[in-house]
Amino acid sequence: MTKRNGASGRSLIARLTNPKYIMVYATIGIFLIIYIFGAVAYGDKGFTTLRTFMNMFIDNAYYGISAVGMTMVLITGGIDLSVGAVASLTGMFIAYGTAVLGLHPLVCIAFSLVVGVGLGLLMGWVIHYLNVPPFITTLTGMFLARGVCSLISRESIEIKHPMMDALAGWKIYFMKLQDGEWVRIRPSAFVNFNVILFVVMIIVGTVILQKTRFGRNIYAIGGNEQSAKLMGLPVGRTKVLVYGFNGLCSVLAGVTYALYVKSGWNLSLQGAELDVITCAVIGGTLLTGGVGYMIGTLFGVLLKSIIPALITFNGNLLSWWGKIATGLLLLLFICIQKIVVNATGGRKEKKPQRAK
Amino acid sequence: MPDKVLLEMKEIEIQFPGVKALDKVDFNLRAGEIHSLLGENGAGKSTLIKCLTGVNHMDAGVILLDGKEIRPQSPQHAIELGISTVYQEVNLCPNLTVAENIFVGRQPMRRGQIDWKTINSRARELMARFHQDIDVTRPLSYYSTAVQQMVAIARAVDVQAKILILDEPTSSLDDNEVSLLFNVMNELKAEGLGIIFITHFLDQVYAVSDRMTILRNGHLVGTYGVEELSRVELVTLMVGKDIDTIFNLKRAEVPGDAPYMLKATHIGAPGQVDDITVTLKKGELIGFAGLLGSGRTETAELLFGAKRLASGELEVDGQKADIRSPYDALMRGMAFCPEDRKRDGIIGDLSIRENIALAVQARRGFLRPLSRAEQNELADKYIKALGIATPDAEKKIGELSGGNQQKVILARWMATQPKVLILDEPTRGIDIGAKAEIQRLMLEMCGDGVSVVFISSELDEIIRCSNRVIVMRDREKVAELDGETCTQPQILRIIAEGAAAAGGEAE
Repeated sequence: MTKRNGASGRSLIARLTNPKYIMVYATIGIFLIIYIFGAVAYGDKGFTTLRTFMNMFIDNAYYGISAVGMTMVLITGGIDLSVGAVASLTGMFIAYGTAVLGLHPLVCIAFSLVVGVGLGLLMGWVIHYLNVPPFITTLTGMFLARGVCSLISRESIEIKHPMMDALAGWKIYFMKLQDGEWVRIRPSAFVNFNVILFVVMIIVGTVILQKTRFGRNIYAIGGNEQSAKLMGLPVGRTKVLVYGFNGLCSVLAGVTYALYVKSGWNLSLQGAELDVITCAVIGGTLLTGGVGYMIGTLFGVLLKSIIPALITFNGNLLSWWGKIATGLLLLLFICIQKIVVNATGGRKEKKPQRAK
Repeated sequence: MPDKVLLEMKEIEIQFPGVKALDKVDFNLRAGEIHSLLGENGAGKSTLIKCLTGVNHMDAGVILLDGKEIRPQSPQHAIELGISTVYQEVNLCPNLTVAENIFVGRQPMRRGQIDWKTINSRARELMARFHQDIDVTRPLSYYSTAVQQMVAIARAVDVQAKILILDEPTSSLDDNEVSLLFNVMNELKAEGLGIIFITHFLDQVYAVSDRMTILRNGHLVGTYGVEELSRVELVTLMVGKDIDTIFNLKRAEVPGDAPYMLKATHIGAPGQVDDITVTLKKGELIGFAGLLGSGRTETAELLFGAKRLASGELEVDGQKADIRSPYDALMRGMAFCPEDRKRDGIIGDLSIRENIALAVQARRGFLRPLSRAEQNELADKYIKALGIATPDAEKKIGELSGGNQQKVILARWMATQPKVLILDEPTRGIDIGAKAEIQRLMLEMCGDGVSVVFISSELDEIIRCSNRVIVMRDREKVAELDGETCTQPQILRIIAEGAAAAGGEAE
């Protein structure tokens, strides 16, 4: 018993200072710095309101949901370029299915899930068993999905269905107690279906990564795939399932995006895969695999969305500054990662010392 | 020693395309013994082990474990059968914590979730058993190779192993770490585990094992108790040649009036080495002795321009040389064969031909590519001259044995026809026969007028080959000895005690 006490006493400090969390701390730290900067500079214009904060979630939920799957793919050491196209395809299925074919949106979503998850599993299979680099495989998947989008329609189709309208319009307002009555806070702030789904997916992702063998196998594969194999871990199955799960996330991101813009368009979400990867990377996920946390990805999404928010509040800057700032942020994080990796992972002692 | 036979392999045969890798090999392992498996590179040790671990499938023969026939299909299957392996390169995940590396894939679960508390506390207990009081929640990469090796063994043992295979576990450990490992091995042995131990270091074989089995060219030579064979007999059995003929090497003869090819005066760089003065005559071989970190490699890197000189001067072939990069050095007729051949030397996915042609090509410049015919000629010439064992020049270098890879690297630099060749640990991790051959090649090159700088941790080979021996200690040159007359104890004393011991002995 004493031993356990001693152990947990040691582990609290040791846990917090564990070098494996450095990247997450960096992400959260930089987010806080930027947020405080925004609060000081634009606090009077309402930057610190809950509404501004919630808007970061509302406007980026679809990136965030996709980033959950992407984080896992990146941790295995892979990459998935098809996510934007698959999300866009989901939007097309819903729009075309409801508007032209008269199907119920749930049927369209179910169909999208079959296609999206199926494509993910297929890509995972090709990547692992045929040993084709993930970049090429998923690039192919991207063209495939994008092509099908254009095959369905080359025009934007409005999504009009009672269920979709209801889902898109559904909001929970933040309330406060005033004079014995619940009233909306001012300026009003709310969460919608998309935000809830985003948060749920982050939680689901965290549980998978931290609490299941499947999740830990993902890390092991990213750390050293050859070792994972020799340790007897189910490497092939894990990789295939990770890409399948990412397909699921892409479809959910597509549903979220459809609710956000209420239309399907074959050219929507072009380049979104790179934004999603950016979110994961500035959230501390290592592009070389093996390192990454969902909480980091959550802050990665927030970091990426706080920049446009700042630019909006400034009012004088062109929105392109957002891209430049994001680029700089990404550069900064890649450099930090490199330094961290060199300081810990590369710190392996040099060769033996022997004079015979 | 308990006599219960734990594992029996009978008449194992494995056929690879073109070669019989194993031909009717018998092997048995008792419970509670450490059994060394010995043989040159390519003798079939790894192939035999891979049969046990389910990586290779045998064409004939039976394996009995506890009297029951088994056929391991995959590493996973072998582990389930109770056969665990720890490989030379630590096969764990550097990004996972120590605890997780021990338990990944078989984590204890609690209410459908991974039970981290149990994982960490059990890992702590296990590591304590191996005399490692470490924080098991830190990433593996945080710890030294020796600790990582212990973690690998902890994982291997904790899966209820009956047989533990240690495949060259000591090649990256220092002496203290090796003795720690031996303690652990002896404890495990006392618990009734059967341990198969593979190593190139004969001292270690005698220090720890009970019996040894020797393989040569895929055939069984025999199984002996350690007390039955002397080292010389053992080596003779391993290589199949008399040891004296192997090492019957003649030091290079350097005429007194031979010109200086390399003169380094008071060279140094902060954090590297201080104030090193070295001269090298045409056709001479100088050896650098010293512990790792004593500045041997750093000196070589300064000479070759891989690190910038902060002070001192270099003279190559009688001319003052301002060497700022390896390219400058290459253009002045120098060549450098670095220490870690896997990392800095070979390009595993390229063929032997391409690996050999590389340095010549770099020297010529990429605007004047070597024609395929020239490359073929070059490759064939050196494959023949160095006796590289390969069916043809197009085989990927990564598929060769360590000794043959080293020969290819040597060929790469020989092909540039260097005037000065620097070899950093060219014989590390290769077997005795190949070592002798590398040494013979070095000396032949000296005979052809090449000057060689030879860095090695193994004093006997330094003494055997060098005209002069430079002893490094704490980033300084502490002695320069005559290769003909210096002795191992003398060098060891200088390494241990420094310049004081060198006092009267340095020339």
